[in-house]
Amino acid sequence: MKTDDLIRALAADTSQARPLSAQALAGLVPALAFAVLMVWLTLGFRADLAQSLVTPVSAVRIVLTGALGLVALRLGLLLARPDGRGRARLWPLGLIGALALGLLAWAYMTTPDGARQMAVVGKTTSTCLTTIPLLSILPVAAILYALRQGATTVPALAGAVAGLAGGGLSAAVYALHCTENSPLFYVTWYGLAILMVSAVSALLGARLLRW
Amino acid sequence: MADEMDEWSRLFRAANTGDSRAYTLFLQAVAPVLRGLVRAKGAGLGEAACEDVVQEVLLAIHLKRHTWDAAAPVRPWLYAIARYKVVDAFRARGRRIDLPIEEFADDLAADAGPDPTEAADVDKMIGMLDGRSAQIVRKIGLEGASVAETGQALTMSEGAVRVALHRALKTLAVLRERHVK
Repeated sequence: MKTDDLIRALAADTSQARPLSAQALAGLVPALAFAVLMVWLTLGFRADLAQSLVTPVSAVRIVLTGALGLVALRLGLLLARPDGRGRARLWPLGLIGALALGLLAWAYMTTPDGARQMAVVGKTTSTCLTTIPLLSILPVAAILYALRQGATTVPALAGAVAGLAGGGLSAAVYALHCTENSPLFYVTWYGLAILMVSAVSALLGARLLRW
Repeated sequence: MADEMDEWSRLFRAANTGDSRAYTLFLQAVAPVLRGLVRAKGAGLGEAACEDVVQEVLLAIHLKRHTWDAAAPVRPWLYAIARYKVVDAFRARGRRIDLPIEEFADDLAADAGPDPTEAADVDKMIGMLDGRSAQIVRKIGLEGASVAETGQALTMSEGAVRVALHRALKTLAVLRERHVK
């Protein structure tokens, strides 16, 4: 077949795909709703949820993880464009990371010596480290699926960012249940859980996001 | 050159809203540039194999056209796709090439005349499609039939032809990937 013949066939296909952001949200919103439902049904929301949402030290968990999720989602959708790598800015992710570490340092300094270790270890470390990755499965899958319709030139990086997005948003959902209010706990373990999700998603991305 | 680029953006923007004629012009303008680049990089590969690569890139441009942000210039987008696909295609054929973005600009002067080269890969892939899809692609591509004419010939609605054509092109890209690797 000559190239002009192929061009004729291509030009006759006037079908239009939905924008990637619409595709991503179509999967992500139900996935997150399902995650909220699962937390509610299996673990239950924390009894003082309303109170915790207006208590800064506790509400900041949701703000930071949610912001990480949204910033990473935006970045992921940009990286899904072939020319996205040159246009993508990574500093907002770095800023959120720096804020989290700053919070960790502040908590370290303001927590009395004897209480630090207990605050870091908490009571729910293993629940946190298993639940956040489990909750992330569907949201990350939804984002990766949308990115597959894109054309990233950096599959592993796009996968890692998709993991930060899905992991961050899932951590925000998990925070509806979790009663650990010390940044020594949540920056450490939420952070670790999100990074684990991101690492797995990077490996998946390297395979799935090639085109 | 700037004018030419704006013209590409204009054509591609129209193409993405369903203007088939603008899309043809766009692809016809892009193909020679790709060809010049692929031939320059793939000397020794043979003209037919180079044309296979050109067609592979065109197919990728087609299937990923929704990833272009219409507010951004089309050139960086186009070059990023071409670069990724050309490097990939050469790697699949056992060659590692280095392709700095700047080289695309130099190739803009490539001869834009009609190209007589028959590429072989895409025919093989069409042969692997189901009978109906293969008929549709051949009728429109080789015979130059319109969607409406194709629908009449195959007693299908225009909508059904469009859907089948889109699926067939997507399948071609997948088949090609498997075949070359």
